Amino acid sequence: MRTMSNLDYSSNESAILRKKIAKVLQYIVAIIVTIIIAFPIYWMLVSSVKSQEEILLTIPTLWPKEWHFENYVNVFKRANFGKYYINTIIMTAGILISEIMTGILAAYGFSIGKFKGQNILFLIILGALMIPIQVTFIPIYIMFADWGLTNTFLGLILPNTVSPYYIFMLRQTFLSVDNSYIEAARVDGMGRLGVIFKILVPMCKSTIVTITLVSFTSGWNSYFWPKIIAKDEPRVLTIGLAHLKNTFAGQATMNNHEIMAGAVMAVLPVIILFFIFQKYMLTGYSKAAMK
Amino acid sequence: MDADVIKQKNKRKKNHTYAISSAKDFTCVLPALVLLAVFTYYPIVEVIRISFTDWNLINDSYQYVGLKNWKWLFAGSGTKYLLNSLKVTALYSLGEIAITLGGGLLFALLFNRITKTFSVLRAVVFMPRYVAMSSAAVVFIWIFNKDNGVLNYFLQTVGLNKVDWLGNKNVALISVLILTGWRAIGYGMMIYLSAMLGISKDYYEAAALDGANSSQRFWKITIPMLSPTTLFLFVTTFLSSMKVFQSVDILTGGGPYRSTEVIVYMIYKYAMQDFRMDRASTVAVMFFFILLVVTALTMKVSKKSVNYDS
Repeated sequence: MRTMSNLDYSSNESAILRKKIAKVLQYIVAIIVTIIIAFPIYWMLVSSVKSQEEILLTIPTLWPKEWHFENYVNVFKRANFGKYYINTIIMTAGILISEIMTGILAAYGFSIGKFKGQNILFLIILGALMIPIQVTFIPIYIMFADWGLTNTFLGLILPNTVSPYYIFMLRQTFLSVDNSYIEAARVDGMGRLGVIFKILVPMCKSTIVTITLVSFTSGWNSYFWPKIIAKDEPRVLTIGLAHLKNTFAGQATMNNHEIMAGAVMAVLPVIILFFIFQKYMLTGYSKAAMK
Repeated sequence: MDADVIKQKNKRKKNHTYAISSAKDFTCVLPALVLLAVFTYYPIVEVIRISFTDWNLINDSYQYVGLKNWKWLFAGSGTKYLLNSLKVTALYSLGEIAITLGGGLLFALLFNRITKTFSVLRAVVFMPRYVAMSSAAVVFIWIFNKDNGVLNYFLQTVGLNKVDWLGNKNVALISVLILTGWRAIGYGMMIYLSAMLGISKDYYEAAALDGANSSQRFWKITIPMLSPTTLFLFVTTFLSSMKVFQSVDILTGGGPYRSTEVIVYMIYKYAMQDFRMDRASTVAVMFFFILLVVTALTMKVSKKSVNYDS
């Protein structure tokens, strides 16, 4: 029996019948459960192309009567979604670039590099993981208000310039690189930056891709800090979408169909990226499955 | 020249080169350190300091007021709100842990076949985790809608009554947990599945030869071998669940009647709606210490209760 946990070893006749019934039951339950879990996503997609009348029917329709793709266009026109997209791209790019730059340098310094107090300073970097933004946002907001950084991109990006997680993972990977490559490069006269960008980074590409994706997703989906510092502008997708429900779904206008379209569009980039980079994500899991 | 002098000169050169080299290595970590110092470490000190003031952002200045805010929080008009948000957060955390660990393990067992069909099923179950919380929350608002939402429609088709998912104070927190659980259960499932793949079949074969049935094999082998995973999931879920904000903010706004007002939401309200930075900071500092204590406790627990393959 090909399963991943317990292996069934009994083999008499009643056991064979029992196993067959169990298999059928397992398939049925698994499929039902999957349908239930998939339903909200299905509902989001299906609702996003319905008309306003259809969306408000007391008896919801499982399949749209008519297809209104202009919902997507309307969200762009009436709700500024294009701007939200651009804002999110700029913010996420800023966060990514600074996290990658500070991360690669620091990971090098803490792995290949040698200096006094290295270990303590590394612990300090990790210690930052224990200090959440939900606590520090108060003084940071006050600071930024004083510096005129509220409602700016800089305000969105600055608290997120360093990712201890990024540094930790990258340092780990750098340490696993065979020293002989680095020594050989040094003998050839390569300096630090050369070693970092011509040897370490190319050799650790897959880790870098993975942790960069994690950073991208967390930046793209960030909600708390943007809500504090940039509630009105430059609004990012997460805030913009939540805002839609307040301005659209009043009693008089129930634009849920358009809100659904907005929800789909907000989610699309991350899903697309994951499909593209899937092999990096699931490599660990599938390697184990092939054993 | 004298051999010793040459040796000394070379040593000084080496030390000098080493000093320059290590200084350069240090400069590599400097940017990260400085940025963290300014945007993470300095603020945590600041927020503690502010809790000892009466800083209301509307006023031009503030003063130090000693333990006034702390008295307000623990023995004054703020205590009932504190107790409420602690209770709500604890219930929420418990719920998310139960779903991620218990539900995740259940799903791992349910979806454990190595076939293409099951691969697809698993991918679908995991997909909610890719859907950003803001999109998911907005969809669920619509699903939870009392009059037009599809969930109440399904309930009515099987003869049950409509439920005011987001407007009834006894149900609201459950609704938030449904949203969270929907995204978390696939994650728990995947984590447990990859861990289960790592359990050597030899254990099971040996146990079967000794006459153990599948229930015994599950409880005496699978569960203990999964304890590192369980601990990992428990710690990470606990810590992240205590910081919940987005789902609550979008679904219920802390209501109705504060029935979903988790700690972070309380801090947010005091800071950004009331502009009472003093009160917000006090709650925030208390929250920070709770997080530290939880982290320390979980580290202690991990040393005791985990079996590792020797």
